[in-house]
Amino acid sequence: MLRSCAARFRALGAPRGSARRSFASENVPDRDHALPNFSWHKDLRLLFDQFMKKCEAGSWKRLPSYKRSLPETVQDFQTLYVDPKLLKKQPISQAQLFTRSFEDGLGFEYVMFCNDAEKRVVCFFQGGPHLQGTPGFTHGGAIASIIDVTTGTCAFRAGGAVMTANLNINYKRPIPLCSVVVIKSQLDKVEGRKFFVSCNVRSVDDETLYSEATSLFIMLDPNKKLT
Amino acid sequence: MRRGFQAAAGLLHPRALPRAPRTLPGLNSASAFGSSTDALVSRFCPEKTDLKDYALPNASWCPDMLSLYQEFLEKSNSGSWIKLPSFKSNRDHIQGLKLPSGLVAASDKGDWRIFTRCIQVAGQGYEYVIFFHPAKKKSVCLFQPGPYLEGAPGFAHGGSLAAMMDETFSKTAYLAGEGLLTLSLNIRFKNLIPVGSLAVLNVQVEKIEDQKLYMSCITQSRDQQTVFAKSSGVFLQLQLEEESPP
Repeated sequence: MLRSCAARFRALGAPRGSARRSFASENVPDRDHALPNFSWHKDLRLLFDQFMKKCEAGSWKRLPSYKRSLPETVQDFQTLYVDPKLLKKQPISQAQLFTRSFEDGLGFEYVMFCNDAEKRVVCFFQGGPHLQGTPGFTHGGAIASIIDVTTGTCAFRAGGAVMTANLNINYKRPIPLCSVVVIKSQLDKVEGRKFFVSCNVRSVDDETLYSEATSLFIMLDPNKKLT
Repeated sequence: MRRGFQAAAGLLHPRALPRAPRTLPGLNSASAFGSSTDALVSRFCPEKTDLKDYALPNASWCPDMLSLYQEFLEKSNSGSWIKLPSFKSNRDHIQGLKLPSGLVAASDKGDWRIFTRCIQVAGQGYEYVIFFHPAKKKSVCLFQPGPYLEGAPGFAHGGSLAAMMDETFSKTAYLAGEGLLTLSLNIRFKNLIPVGSLAVLNVQVEKIEDQKLYMSCITQSRDQQTVFAKSSGVFLQLQLEEESPP
């Protein structure tokens, strides 16, 4: 997903753990949301701790996650990939990354870890009360979103700025609202500019398979601007 | 295809959900899915309600969205189309009904909200309205993504469009044939939607077979010159039950 390239610039722009200044509001740092907060269920915290230990061993890395892109990131992206006719004078300060547009605990609470050597990204996701679909369950579209984010990050780690071309999701069992799930994605193959990623969504104890998905991402081409 | 939800036992005995029964509700083919579309629609669109309808124009709607909305509103007045209300929670849409036993995850809480109405500030998140055509089992969704739905700078996140598709499929499936749960979504993205612009989703029920509703969707600009995405969705039919009288 294209947001992945913005995410990369965000990651580069701020070393892990430091506070970033959001250009939108004066003196309010844009915080890294991929860290525990009061709304995190204990299952989510345990998984986080478990993987932070793996990070110490070296093969896994936690990916920080911010609400907004740095202005220079936005400009670089637009210069490289967007047709100038499309660029509008939009108040950039209003824009936020979709999956971080909620108050703590109400929407998407998640953290992603990547293993670049094995081309895998794991996402621990807790869907909050504002992600409801069928009463008591997580909206299929919210599940599609977090799958898009996870598989997109996987493709991005391997190929840089990419765009979602295809997303195919099989929903096996409904996910109860406010529960924690584990999304495991991996890069299956690369063909030129095409990145094929698959993932599954399982319960924390691994016993329930909630969904399976395959996706195709295409590397963006500065010679073919977005219109 | 007899995997996953279709093997209803899998649905009703998931370990993640409490109180899974041993029998399967509402799947007796003789009596199931007897509610006509008209009955479903009239229940879904209450004549009088105190609930706030989010599918109404506001200051954030772009001119394209406003004018297309007017066009469809006129068609609704002539009777073939119906503007669907959009409440804070799906629970509000099924008052007097409940999910089949075994599918109840937990008691509904007051602060739960349907995903596509999660961002309440006008114009920042999902601005949309769905019109349904009962006779032809098709829908049109006018969708304007706000800046909080951003993915790549200046464009709507693919996930937000996926959610809008799922939501339109969901309402169409429910009214056309008591479709309740998403079984699969298959989306081919073609072009990005700039934040603040109008995308029109045209959804059509292709067939209803084996307890499943098959739908297709094409998402385009208003003038149909730009195709944003094509998708298909399959939903499982599951009959809601009447809530026991107090």
